[in-house]
Amino acid sequence: MNETQTASAPSDPAGKKILMIMTSGPEDPDKTYAPFYTAALMAAMEIDTTMYFLMHAPELLRKGAAEKVPLKKGGNLKMFVDMALENGVKLMACAESCRDLCEIPPDELIDGVKLVGSATLADLALDADSVVSF
Amino acid sequence: MTILNGCEFPDDRAYFIERTQMTWVKTDGDLLTVGLTDPAQTRAGKILHVRVKAAGTARERGKPIATVESGKWAGPVMAPVSGTVVEANVEVEKDPGLLNTDPYGRGWIVRMTAASPAEVSALLTGATALARFREILEKDNIRCVRCQA
Repeated sequence: MNETQTASAPSDPAGKKILMIMTSGPEDPDKTYAPFYTAALMAAMEIDTTMYFLMHAPELLRKGAAEKVPLKKGGNLKMFVDMALENGVKLMACAESCRDLCEIPPDELIDGVKLVGSATLADLALDADSVVSF
Repeated sequence: MTILNGCEFPDDRAYFIERTQMTWVKTDGDLLTVGLTDPAQTRAGKILHVRVKAAGTARERGKPIATVESGKWAGPVMAPVSGTVVEANVEVEKDPGLLNTDPYGRGWIVRMTAASPAEVSALLTGATALARFREILEKDNIRCVRCQA
């Protein structure tokens, strides 16, 4: 069972790898929704999708933080973080950013987040078919 | 037809209910037609884009047969059973709103064969399916609406 094509798309992206780099945090709510939504969609398309959070972006992954990020059309970011996780998006937070910039102890990150070093970003970027930065 | 919280559930369907998935299955000989249920299309909201796996695509149970985007929700439509897509409904790709306005009719997503009769038998039907839907509708406070295109 390995044939994967869509009815209308020229080719099926299933099995490809995308790395999404997040640098914006709760200070810019308008920049937070689209990346999680897009990542959730990519994962639903069976693309191996990883979001890497550095600089102030790990603040979005602090327990209780997404609930406080308002969205223009109402609601908050939490449902999109949950949707991304539900669809299988891998969330990785830069350990240095968490420790030195955001001051987030590991146990204050939401469940499902992997704390990784900066060198992992290089590995992920070189391994991905495409890298998208927000 | 049974109606719960304004959500329609045709009696002639079996249902696949797992995690966030709520799809219907209608058996016609060896072919299964699959689509979104009323609460599934309501929860998604006005559907803007649909991509359906092409005929010939083999799928394991629980792997995507389509992806759906509504602006507030993006996710897969899972295969309710293992099998092979025989026909993809290209009409819903041209007019995704059919999933909202006619989920049990013109909004069908794929026709497929089933690899395992046991998986087909395991789909929920009748009172068992309705009890499960009642539980989900109450828990998630879902009242069905049909978004117009």
